[in-house]
Amino acid sequence: MKKIFTAAAAALVIASCTSDLSSLNVNSKAPEQVPAGALIANSTVTLTDYLTSVNVNLNNFILWSQHWTQTTYTDESNFNYNNRDVNGNTFDAMYATVLRDLNDASKFIEADDKMLEEHKRNQLALIEVMEVYTYHVLVDIFGDVPYSEAIGDDVTPKYDNDAEIYSSLVTRLLAAHGNLGGDNGLGNYDLLYGGDANAWKKFAASLALKLAVRAADVNPSASSVAEAAAAAGVFTSSADGAILGYTSSPPNTNPLWDDLVQSGRADFCAANTFADILNGLSDPRRGTFFRNLDANGDVIGAPYGLASSYALNSQPGDALEDPSKAASLMDYAEVEFLLADAAARGWNVGSSSAADHYAAAVTASIEDWGGSASDAATYLAQTDVAWDATMWKQRIGVQKWIAMYTRGNEAWATQRLYDYPAMNVAVEALIVTPYRMSYGIDEYSLNGTNVAAARGGNDDQMSKVFWDAN
Amino acid sequence: MKRRANLFALVASAFLSISAFAQNVTGVVSDASSGEPLPSVSVKVKGSDNAAITNFDGKYTIKAGNGAVLVFSSMGYASQEASVSGNTLNVSLASSTNKLDEVVVTALGISRDKKSVGYAIQEVGGAEVSKVKDANFMSSLSGKVAGVNIRQSGTMGGSANVVIRGYKSLTGNNQALFVVDGIPISNQINNTGNQQTGRGGYDYGNAAMDINPEDIDKVSVLKGAAATALYGARAANGVILITTKKGTKRNGLGVSVTSGYTVGSVNPDTYVRYQNSYGVGYGQYYGPDSIAGYPTNGYMVAYDVDGDGIDDPCTPTTEDASFGLAFDPNFMVYTWESLYPELSTYGQKSPHVAGANNPLYFFEQAATMNNSVAIDGGNDNGSFRLSATQFSTKGIVPGSSLKRNNFSFSGNLKASDRLTVSTTAQFIQQAGNGRFGTGYDSRNPNQSFRQWFNVGVDMAKQKAAYEATGKNITWNPFGYGYGDDATKPIYSDNPYFSALENRQSDTRNRLIGNMMASYKINDWLDFMGRASVDTYSELQEERTAVGSVEIPGYLRRNRNVTETNIDMILTANKTFGANDEYSLNARLGSNIRRNSVEAIAASTNGGLVVPGVYALSNSVNTPNAPSETAYQIGVNGMFAAASLGYKNFLYVDLTGRQDVSSTLPTVNNTFFYPSATMSLVFSELLDVDAISFGKFRMNYAQVGSDAPAQALADAYNMGTAFGSTSLASAPSTSNNPGLLPESTVSQEAGLEMMFLNNRVGFDVSVYNQTSFNQIMPAKVSSTSGTIFKYVNAGEINNQGVELSLNATPIQSADFTWSTNLNWTKNKNMVVSLFEGAENLQLASVQGGITIEARPGQAYGTIYGTTFIKDAEGRPIVWDMPASYGGVRYLRGGVDMGSKDVIGNINPDWYAGWSNSFRYKNWTASALLDMQMGGNFFSLDTWYGYATGLYDLSAGTNDMGNPVRDLVNDGGGYKITNVAYWDGSTVDGDGNPSGLTVGDYYADMHYYGNSLGYARNANEYHVWDASYLKLREVALNYSVPSSMLGSTGIKGLDVALTGRNLAILWKNNPYSDPEAGLSAGNVQGYQSGAYPAVREVGVNVKLKF
Repeated sequence: MKKIFTAAAAALVIASCTSDLSSLNVNSKAPEQVPAGALIANSTVTLTDYLTSVNVNLNNFILWSQHWTQTTYTDESNFNYNNRDVNGNTFDAMYATVLRDLNDASKFIEADDKMLEEHKRNQLALIEVMEVYTYHVLVDIFGDVPYSEAIGDDVTPKYDNDAEIYSSLVTRLLAAHGNLGGDNGLGNYDLLYGGDANAWKKFAASLALKLAVRAADVNPSASSVAEAAAAAGVFTSSADGAILGYTSSPPNTNPLWDDLVQSGRADFCAANTFADILNGLSDPRRGTFFRNLDANGDVIGAPYGLASSYALNSQPGDALEDPSKAASLMDYAEVEFLLADAAARGWNVGSSSAADHYAAAVTASIEDWGGSASDAATYLAQTDVAWDATMWKQRIGVQKWIAMYTRGNEAWATQRLYDYPAMNVAVEALIVTPYRMSYGIDEYSLNGTNVAAARGGNDDQMSKVFWDAN
Repeated sequence: MKRRANLFALVASAFLSISAFAQNVTGVVSDASSGEPLPSVSVKVKGSDNAAITNFDGKYTIKAGNGAVLVFSSMGYASQEASVSGNTLNVSLASSTNKLDEVVVTALGISRDKKSVGYAIQEVGGAEVSKVKDANFMSSLSGKVAGVNIRQSGTMGGSANVVIRGYKSLTGNNQALFVVDGIPISNQINNTGNQQTGRGGYDYGNAAMDINPEDIDKVSVLKGAAATALYGARAANGVILITTKKGTKRNGLGVSVTSGYTVGSVNPDTYVRYQNSYGVGYGQYYGPDSIAGYPTNGYMVAYDVDGDGIDDPCTPTTEDASFGLAFDPNFMVYTWESLYPELSTYGQKSPHVAGANNPLYFFEQAATMNNSVAIDGGNDNGSFRLSATQFSTKGIVPGSSLKRNNFSFSGNLKASDRLTVSTTAQFIQQAGNGRFGTGYDSRNPNQSFRQWFNVGVDMAKQKAAYEATGKNITWNPFGYGYGDDATKPIYSDNPYFSALENRQSDTRNRLIGNMMASYKINDWLDFMGRASVDTYSELQEERTAVGSVEIPGYLRRNRNVTETNIDMILTANKTFGANDEYSLNARLGSNIRRNSVEAIAASTNGGLVVPGVYALSNSVNTPNAPSETAYQIGVNGMFAAASLGYKNFLYVDLTGRQDVSSTLPTVNNTFFYPSATMSLVFSELLDVDAISFGKFRMNYAQVGSDAPAQALADAYNMGTAFGSTSLASAPSTSNNPGLLPESTVSQEAGLEMMFLNNRVGFDVSVYNQTSFNQIMPAKVSSTSGTIFKYVNAGEINNQGVELSLNATPIQSADFTWSTNLNWTKNKNMVVSLFEGAENLQLASVQGGITIEARPGQAYGTIYGTTFIKDAEGRPIVWDMPASYGGVRYLRGGVDMGSKDVIGNINPDWYAGWSNSFRYKNWTASALLDMQMGGNFFSLDTWYGYATGLYDLSAGTNDMGNPVRDLVNDGGGYKITNVAYWDGSTVDGDGNPSGLTVGDYYADMHYYGNSLGYARNANEYHVWDASYLKLREVALNYSVPSSMLGSTGIKGLDVALTGRNLAILWKNNPYSDPEAGLSAGNVQGYQSGAYPAVREVGVNVKLKF
C-alpha cells in the first residue's frame, strides 16, 4: 500500500513538471520579421489613402476647403470632427501605421548586414523623406505635435513646437537628399518610383521647396532653403510627381472610389464656395470636377454647411469614380505654384518668372484633369485668372486651391497660407473654416499632461499654426 | 414473561389500529419546487412506530386512520406533518437548503458537508433552471443567486453576460468559469470586436449555453476566490459548477419524457413610440414650395411621373428621417410603391399618410419547442443515464431559427471493492440560421426602425413587395429623378429581404466528456485520476445578397477549440483524538491543462459573380488572404489542500496551488497562491431551540493568473498585396516580453443562520476583492507608435454584500408558501491603472462616447459630452442659428472642449425575489427580478430624436402650437428650468455668465434639432437602466397517481409557464433596459436594441 502511495505521489509530481511548456504559445501564423520594403510600401499606401480619403471618419478637408459640402448629414461640413474622432483617427493612421512602419523598416534595414551599401543608404534616406512628409502633414493640421519623443517606448511623448519641427524636418530632408541617388534596391516595394532613387532625390528637393514656401512668412531662412532646393532639381514635368497608381480591385483601390462608389452613398455635392468661383472663371475643369451641371455648364453648389438635395446639386464627377485613379502626394502643378510663389517673393529659384511658373502650374493642372493646352491658354487669358504681380497671393491662392481639388489637406493649407479665396461661414456652425484642428479626445485621456501643455495650452481650432502668420 | 410482554404489545397495537379505523393510506411525496417525486422519504405515523419509506417514484403506503398525523422527512428537506383524511395523501416537501447534514459540491467536484465550508456557495436545483426555459440556460439563473449579475442580450440564442461579484479584470475576461462534472468548459464568446462595440455583426452566443438545462441536476455557484482557488488562474471570476443528472439505483428502468412548447411575442413597451403626423424628409429642400397646387414647402420632390408635362409630388425616398411634410390623407403623392414596375402600385399615387403598420409589425411570433427523453437505471454495482434532447426555436425576426440536439451519457461502475470507474459524455449539435443582426448595421432592422426611418412606410406593404418579387424592394431607393438608379437602394434594405436573403448560418458540433477512476488505497486514502476534454468545431457563414445596399459577399469562419485537462488527486480522510474529535481531510493533486485554438476566416472581395452562390470562388475580385489564428497554450498546476475539523463545529482549511503557464515569459512563468478558510458552526455550541443552525465563516485567498495567448512577442500583419507588392504592417497592439503573473486577493466573511426548525433563514456575505498587476493591452497614445500595449499594471477593487433570505411562512398538508430573496450590492472601484494613465478605454463606440475604467470611479464609466451647467446644475442653452430661432444646449466636448463622465454601467444593487405556493397538487411560482441603478447610452434615441421618429417630436406644445412649428411661430419643444446664455458674456475664467434662468423652446422642425445627436449632449441620451421584471411565472399541476391508475405512467406533470411577461417598472420609455450588444466588457450601450419578448409556454413531464 505504501508503494502505491509513493507511486501515485511520484506520478503527480512527474506529470506536472516534465511536460514541456516552452513550445506552447508560439504564433505560427504571423512573422516576427518582415522585409523592410513591405513596411515601406504599406506606409506609402496608408499615407496616400489618408490624404486621398473623403471618408467622414478620417479626412474632412475636402469639406473644410469648401470644395464639397454634405447633402444630408452636415456635421463634418460644420466642423464637427470630435463626434467621429477624426482628429484621433488621423493620429492613429499617421503615427501608429505610417510612422511606425517606417520606423520598423529602418530598424530592419540598419540591422541587415548583407544589404548593398547603396541600397541601405538610399532606403534609409527615402524613409527620411516619407517621415518628413508625414510630419509636415501633421503639423499643418494641428500645429504642435509629438515629434522628438514620438514612436518609441515612451507612451506619453511630449508635444514639440511646430516651427521647430519644421526646422528639424528641413534639416533632415537636406541630409536625406544628399544620400539619395542611383538605385534604391526596393524594386516593386517602391510604389512611387519603382526603385529609382534619382526620382526620390527630386521629390526630396520638391518637398524642401514646399516646406520653405510654407514657412516663408515667418522664417527668414526659408529663401535659402527654397533656392537650394530649386537649384538641386525639383519636378519638371507631370511624370516626376510622387504619385501612387491604385489597383482596380479592393482593398487597394483609390479611396475616392471606396467612399463615392463602393459605399453606395449619395452624401457629397459641390459647395457654393467652389461652384461660385469655378463658374465665375468659366473654369474648363468644371465638367470633370463635377457632374449634373446646369444648362449653362455651371456647377450647382449647395450653400456650404446646409443640408440640401443630392439630386438638385452638382455631384463629384465621374472622373473621381475610377477605382484605379492615381493619387498624388505631390505633383508637378503644385511645384510650379511653389516656384511661382518663391519667384514672386523675389527668391532666386531659376530663370523663369513668377508669371511663367504660374502659367505652367495652371496649365499642368488643367492638362492633368483632361483639358488641353488651348483650354489653359484661354483660361489664363481671362483678366481674373491672368498673372497679376500686384495680387500674386490672390492669384496663386485661388488657382492652387482649385488645382488641389481632391487633395483636401493641401487645398485647405493653400487657403490658409494665402487667405484666398475667402471662405464662407458654414451655415450651422456659424464660423468660417477653422485654421487648425483641435487634438483628439484620446490624447486628452491618454497623454493628458503633454497635450495640455501643447501650444501653450491653446488648443483652439481658430488659432493658427506657426506658418499661418498673415 | 418476556414473551408475554411482546404478545401484549402486539395485541395492544392491533387494538389501537382497530380503534382508529386504520386503513391503507397511499400517496406520492414530491419536491415542492420541481414537482419531482422524492424517493427515500421517511413517512411515520406521529406517536407510533408505524413507518414507511417512499419508493423510487415517491410513492408510499402506510396504515393510518383518519385524523392520524403523518410526519414526512427527508435529508435536505424541511420535514412536514399532514393529517390523514381519506386514503390518499400527497405531500410535497420544501427543500431546506441549510441543514447540518447538507452536502455541497465544491471546487474540483469535491462533495463536502456544507457546514465545513468557509466560503459562500449557493446552489440552484436543476428543476429551477429548467422550469421556465430559455435558449441560454444562464439566463435562467437571473435573480436566483445573490452576487451573480446576469444580463441578456435580447437576441435569439444570444449571449448572456454572467459576472459574479463585479468586474475584476480591466480588459480581460470577466465571465464566470463554467465547470460541468469537473470539466471546465469553454464559455468563449466568439463574437467579433466589431459586434461587441456595436459596429455590426451577429451575437453567436456563449459557448457554455450548449449545456442542456434538462440534464442539469444542480448548479453550484462558487463566488469568491477562496471557493475557486483550486481551479487556479481562470477562476478569479467565480465558478458556476454544474452537476448533471446521474442514474440512480432502482428497480428496472426509469424513463422520463418532457415536452414543452413556448410562444413569444414582442413587448411593445420596449419599443419606439412613433409619431404619425409627419412624413419622410430631413428638411425643406427637395423641391419647390408648391407642387401641382399643393403647398409642399420644399418637402417633396417635383418630378413629372405620369409624363403629362406637369411636375408631380414625390416623397424624397432617399431620405431616412421623418421631418417631412405633415400627413394629409387628401393629398395624393408618389412614393416608393410607385417606383417599382414589379408592383401593382407602379406609377400610382397614394394618400400621404402614416404607415398603417409600423415596424413592430415586422416582428413575428417566436416559438420554441423542447423534447427530451431520459432513461436511467442502476443497481449496487453501478448506474447509468442516457438522455436525448431536441430544442428548436424560431425568433421574432423572420427566417430566424436555432436548433440544438444534446445527447448525453453518464455511467459509473464499481469494478471492485476498491476501484470505481465512471464516464460522462455529451455530444451537442447546434445550428443557427438567420441570427439577428446587431449594432449599427443594415442587417439589424432596428438600426433603421429605431434610428433612420420613414414613418410613412407600411411594413405590411414592404412584406408584400418582398414576397411578391423576392427582390430588395425597399422604401429607401434613390427614387424619382435618379434615372437608372431610381430603384437602387440607398441606405436601408427592405427589412424582409435583408432578414431572408442576407442570411447567416452557423453550426457547432461539440463533445464534452471525461473518464474517471478512483481507487480506494485503504480506508483513509483515495486516489482519483480524471481525463476530460471539451472540443468543438464551428462554422459561421455570413451572406450579403446581390441587390443589397452593402457589397454582396460571403464570409466564412471555421474554428476548432479544444481543452483537455488531466487531474490527479490523492485524498486522505482521517479522524484523530480520543473521541475522534479531530478530522483531517487532505488532498494533493495535479492538473495539466492544454488549450488549442485554430481558426480561419475568409471572405469574398468586391462582390459576387453569380447571385445566390455563396462560395469563396464566386468572388468578383481575388479574395483577400484569409485571416488565420493558431495557438496552443498550457498550464501545469500542483495543489495541496487540508481541512482540519474539530468536533463537527470548527473547520480550518488551507490550500495552495502552484501554476506554471506557457503564456508567461519563462523567467516569470511560475506562480503560487494560497488560501485559508474557517468555518464555525456556533449553533453546535449554543443550546437555543429557536436557532436550528448557525455558522460563521471567513476566509482569505489569493488567485494568480497568466496572460492571454500570444502576448509576449510582436508579430507583423501581412496585408493584401498591392498589385504584386506585398504589404506588411506593425501590429496595433505591442506585446510585452516581460509580463508577470497577475494576482487577485480576497477576504470574505459570512453568517448563515436558520431558525424555527429551518423555516426561516438567512445567509449573508461581505467581501473585499482586489485584483492587481493586471495584464492588459492598455490603450496608449498612438503617438508612441502603437495603439495598445501589453502592460502589467492596474488595480481594481470590488466590495460587496450578498444576502439571501429563505422562509417557509406557511407549511401545512395542503398548502405551502415558500419564499426566497436574493439581494446584492457590489461596489466597484478602479484603484489605479498603469503608470501615468488617467484612463483606460474599454471601448470607443459610435456616438462619440467611450466606455472606460477611470481611477477613483467604478469600472465601466460612460464618458461623453455633457451639458455645460450653471452653478445650480441647470443645463445652459444658447441660440440656434438665427434662421431657426429657438435654443440649443451648450455642450462640453463639441462647443466647449472637454467631455466628462455621464454614467456608469454598474447597478447600485440587484435582487431577485421568488415565491412558490403549493396547494395540494398545484404549485404556483413567480420570480421578480430587479436592478436598481446603472446606466446605458442609447444610440437609438441619439439618432432617432434627430430623425423625427419618436412621439415627442410631434403633437402640440403647452401653448397649443405644433411642436414642429418654428419657435418664432410659437412652436418648439419646451425645455424647462434651463439657463440661457447670450453666447458671449463670460466670467473671469471664461465660463458663461449673465445667465437667465427659465423655460425655453427648442427648435424641432428638422434633424438639427436640440434633442437629437446633431445638437445635443451625449448626457441627454444616457438612461437609467433600473427595472423590475416579472421574470418567471409557473403553474404546475401534478396529476395524482390515483388518476393515472394502471396506465403505466408513474408521474404526469403539466405546467404553464411565462417568462419576461412584464416589466413592472423602468425609467426609459423606448427599450428594455437590459438590452445590449452581447456579453463582454462593453456594456451600457444600446444600438439597434431588440424589443423584449414575452414568452408563454406549456410543459408536460411524464415518468414511466
